[in-house]
Amino acid sequence: MHPLRHPRNALVIGVAFVIIAAVYWAVPYFGGWHLDYAGVTMLAALGIAMALMAYVLIAGSPSE
Amino acid sequence: MATTAPALTPAASGYRSGLYEWLTTTDHKKIGILYVTNSFIFFFLGGLLALGVRTELAQPGLQYLADENLYNELFTMHGTVMIFLFIIPMLVGFGNYVVPLQIGAPDMAFPRINALSFWMLPLAGILLFTGFVTGGAAAAGWTSYSPLAQDRPLGSVGPGQDLWIVGLLLIGTSSILGSINFLVTIFKMRAPGMTLFRMPILVWTVLVTSVLVLMATPVLTSALVMLFIDRNYGGSFFDPANGGNAVLWQNVFWFYSHPAVYIMVLPAMGMISEILPVFSRKPLFGYKAFVFATAGIGALGFSVWAHHMFTTGSVYLPFFSLMTFLIAVPTGVKMFNWIFTLFRGKLTFATPLLFALGFLSMFLIGGINGAFSAAVPVDFALHDTYWVVAHLHYVLFGGSVFGVFAGVYFWFPKMTGRMLGEGLGKVQFVLMFIGFNLTFFPMHALGLAGMPRRIADYASDAGWNELNLAATVGGFLIAASVLPFLWNVFVSLRSGKPAGDDPWEGNTLEWATSSPPPPYNFDHLPEIRSERPVFDLRHGRAGSGH
Amino acid sequence: MTSDSHALTTTEHSPVAGLAHDASGGISNPILGMLLFITSEVMFFAGLFAAYFASRAAAAPWPPAEFEHTLEPFSLVFPATVMLVISSVTCQIGVNAIRRDDRAGFIRAIGLTLILGIVFLLIQVYDYGLLYSEGLTVAAGPYGTTYYTLTGFHGAHVFGGVIMLAVILYRGMAGQFSSRHHDAVEATSIYWHFVDVVWIGLYTTLYWLR
Repeated sequence: MHPLRHPRNALVIGVAFVIIAAVYWAVPYFGGWHLDYAGVTMLAALGIAMALMAYVLIAGSPSE
Repeated sequence: MATTAPALTPAASGYRSGLYEWLTTTDHKKIGILYVTNSFIFFFLGGLLALGVRTELAQPGLQYLADENLYNELFTMHGTVMIFLFIIPMLVGFGNYVVPLQIGAPDMAFPRINALSFWMLPLAGILLFTGFVTGGAAAAGWTSYSPLAQDRPLGSVGPGQDLWIVGLLLIGTSSILGSINFLVTIFKMRAPGMTLFRMPILVWTVLVTSVLVLMATPVLTSALVMLFIDRNYGGSFFDPANGGNAVLWQNVFWFYSHPAVYIMVLPAMGMISEILPVFSRKPLFGYKAFVFATAGIGALGFSVWAHHMFTTGSVYLPFFSLMTFLIAVPTGVKMFNWIFTLFRGKLTFATPLLFALGFLSMFLIGGINGAFSAAVPVDFALHDTYWVVAHLHYVLFGGSVFGVFAGVYFWFPKMTGRMLGEGLGKVQFVLMFIGFNLTFFPMHALGLAGMPRRIADYASDAGWNELNLAATVGGFLIAASVLPFLWNVFVSLRSGKPAGDDPWEGNTLEWATSSPPPPYNFDHLPEIRSERPVFDLRHGRAGSGH
Repeated sequence: MTSDSHALTTTEHSPVAGLAHDASGGISNPILGMLLFITSEVMFFAGLFAAYFASRAAAAPWPPAEFEHTLEPFSLVFPATVMLVISSVTCQIGVNAIRRDDRAGFIRAIGLTLILGIVFLLIQVYDYGLLYSEGLTVAAGPYGTTYYTLTGFHGAHVFGGVIMLAVILYRGMAGQFSSRHHDAVEATSIYWHFVDVVWIGLYTTLYWLR
């Protein structure tokens, strides 16, 4: 199957955003700068939402 | 697939129907036209508000305003109306009309929700404007920062700001429902043979835009409800005097509003990407690269929001500066896609192409001055000056609005069965192009010279007088350019040249049916083996085969 | 998984296998629409949670001294939480019933779910009254504002879910659902599970993490 058809591959986009959220948390936390909790929360939630959306769109598409 | 249906009404009367039909329709084509028409009405209203702003700024000293707060209402409502009631719904309207046709579908996935999404807009517009007659419209800028947006002395006392909040909540809901509609339609209702990588680029850009709307708009919803609670229930979210945090508003607001700027431009880029290949008689250069660049812009667009907040002191500067510079990369890729589509093409300089070329040049300028702003020290100097006003108008007007007009001239024949006049179209283009540059180019210099945004008046010895006057003249020239457009539409609807199915020798499926299409869209679909099925049909050969 | 490209292969072994499929093998449009709507709701609550965590970080001590013991995890909210979790179970029982054409089982299970949902709301309202009398109001600084905003919007979503449950209960009693046609049931149950998951997140954050 084409990689874009495997529903599990769709989770990559969600993982990408969770990684960005983790970086966005870790660098200020270990670097001693001001931590933006709001931004971390929104980016992490975005990862969850993106993963869910991508999964249902790919898994829910008719195969051709 | 029915070949003939003699009992059905002929295609030409598909759009010329009674008022009741227009009020109750669930046909995506009519709803698309409703969206476009409603959006143009708000474009003119927003433009009048802009003329109000420019008239006041033409010369130092207050010209006609007795109350500077009214000036704040003018620029607040101008921004709000242009963003939420003009450009976003306008692009949704084109998407609504064109996307189901381009994928060979009979309608959108949820036609009644489609109608609901539309009708929420005029209602929201009325709510927003009602502020003017109930003690003052919203006046805290379209960005509505606290504590100015709070309900307290020296803030936004009175219902105008609350009406603004509620209006935007309605518009946001309309958008989110629309994005769900587009996503289900695109993923579930494509004609056989149309794989994802054979979809027209406009469909791809609408897809990515819908993802952005789906993910980002609810965050604006949450910010708006929190502001409403602050204002009306003694909440402590954003008001420092109440234990709240003003920067928190900016964070949550910009988490939506930065992706919003891509929502405002990606479909216009999609329209340009349909138009350039047709008028260069060449396929879009680098289809797959373009698709990945669009997806990349969408994804990166979520990680740059705090570049609007560099000067707050609460932002992790290197992260956002880096991400902002990174976004220039996929955008640059697209620029090359478009330029190489034109290169060695057989160009026809019809009005859609002129506006598309206008888009390319003006968006390029907007992208470049944006790249300057991505550098933190530069932004520290230029934040909240007219440099930013120049940037946003070059990308939104020079970009999106020119893209919209390109789309209007391109798809008007399909929607109405008539061609728009080329002569009047070229007059509009020239006037609008000159007026636009005369208005906004001087703002680069004004910003560099230190003129702040959102001021009703300025000192006569600041050195800003001539450029402001030039900008005002340009503004009135833009207003004037609208007149040949309106005249063109009026005359063409009555007696424009009949368009036929495919007046431009187009590439995509909407040109494989009548103009306007029958209510069910297609009597017969050509075979789909590439992203240019109608081109393939016309030239009787197998497609590019991907 | 075989290399057969038959329509059902894509979804047979996936979590979405149980959902109603249309002829082409994808998830049916209304259910896909509901799933996407839920992703937008995730982002709505994300904004509210973002405000919560930012307010919490900025306003030390948290909880403020006067509310240090106001939100107790084993107060009334504990049975309410248990009930909401059970209601998700009963909801799924109802979905599984109608998938097997067991209409009576469906009506019983959804009826029970509806009752549990209503009781949850009643407990919440009563609990608000108790909290108000202890001084925790919307205007009681960031602690009160964030508490009522988060739980209030969750309650509003529960209320919406209760209405949806009532509608599918009515339609079920009127015989409108079968094993082949029950998209509204699937969509409602997905929404109801989401509401439950959000509550678990809220309960953990507001009452345990504090």
